[in-house]
Amino acid sequence: MTHDLHTLAAPYALDALDPHERARFEGHLDQCAECRQELRGFHLTALRLAEAEADTPPPALRARLLSEVSATAQERPVVTTLAQRGRIRRAGPRLLVAASVLVAAGAIGGYVSEHNRADDLQADSARISAVMVAGDATMLDGKVRTGGTMRVVASPSHDAAVVMGSDLKQLDDGHVYQVWAMHDGVPRSLGVLGSGAGMLYAQDIAGSDAFAVTVEPDGGSPAPTTDPVAAMPA
Amino acid sequence: MARRSLFGKESRMSQSAADRLAAVPETAPAVDPDDLLVRVARGDESAFAALYDALGATVFGMARRVIRDPARAEEVAQEVFLQVWQTAARFDPARGTAKSWVLTLAHRRAVDAVRHDQAATNRENSYDWSPGVDHDQVLETVTVRLEHEQVRRCLEGLTELQRESVNLAYYQGYTYAEVAQVLGANPATVKTRMRDGLVRLRDCMGVEVS
Ligand SMILES: [Zn+2]
Repeated sequence: MTHDLHTLAAPYALDALDPHERARFEGHLDQCAECRQELRGFHLTALRLAEAEADTPPPALRARLLSEVSATAQERPVVTTLAQRGRIRRAGPRLLVAASVLVAAGAIGGYVSEHNRADDLQADSARISAVMVAGDATMLDGKVRTGGTMRVVASPSHDAAVVMGSDLKQLDDGHVYQVWAMHDGVPRSLGVLGSGAGMLYAQDIAGSDAFAVTVEPDGGSPAPTTDPVAAMPA
Repeated sequence: MARRSLFGKESRMSQSAADRLAAVPETAPAVDPDDLLVRVARGDESAFAALYDALGATVFGMARRVIRDPARAEEVAQEVFLQVWQTAARFDPARGTAKSWVLTLAHRRAVDAVRHDQAATNRENSYDWSPGVDHDQVLETVTVRLEHEQVRRCLEGLTELQRESVNLAYYQGYTYAEVAQVLGANPATVKTRMRDGLVRLRDCMGVEVS
């Protein structure tokens, strides 16, 4: 099972995975130093394949780009620097502070998974910041039994929540943190989080009476298979 | 869609301003892309121009190879460099080189573009779409157009199945499952051949991982 995931490093470096496998492998990458190391070499090899095709682009492209960047805002570097240390520092009580962390959401996770998720994150970041700055947003903090903390920011008007972990204990290769919304005692999966710092965006949270986190086999489970390491009444 | 307008071709700057910018002489001496990208993250537009001068040809050439249509490749190259500008702060020099970061991002976009365009074409022409790939033709274009001597030599050193697996994935944007279908091979075998092929290429090209 885990062995199977290791074998995806080469197709991943060649961008030969479908989106589902891509996501699965990126989840694995966060946990597997061996694959990260191998991938560095594969990416540099793929770079040579690209360089062999180098060809002068039309000059107009340069002009267009230079004018475009002068009118285009950038993500804020300071936020990334903090998150790159592997944890979101005390985000503070103000939601706006947390929002600035999350708008640069790609900062969380490893180098490889980070930039390869850039597209998804760009699509998500607007929804995420909308929740974070919503007038009706509420914030729940909970301790994770095995180490670290979990924060849930929920906005009823958006019917959505942002869940983030910080300083979560590193799990072994085959396990992930999975987040659940409890509804009349029935858990519904909101997704999985990486170790260290991680976050996810979840919709349809209306009527949830609690949020919980369990440790599950890599890839997540349809229903919790272990006792929660964190639980927060909504 | 927000992303569309973000990456769209329309610019808020006048054409004359754009021309002036483009006319600025290239003062940048050979500078390390890693340093340039770090400066780009701080909003340095001249570093961005220098980074483009260093990597533009590789990004555009790779995209054209994968996408084939030069106009579409140009669009993709533009999207890639805008993304580099916007997300440069995510680059961590400790985890890889700037070149590798930019090209990984660019290849992902190029591959997504061919898959997306292909899917759209398939939807439009679903009645007459034939999934059959002219296998010989594919392999011919793949090998003939390789310009770089060392890369060509190293690719020649692979077994046929390794080479075809790497080529079809990297230069044609096929998933390994599609490669397996095209080559009539087992998907697990193709995954293994891709790995063996990359390992051999890496060693043949003398790629050093710090
Ligand atoms: Zn692994």
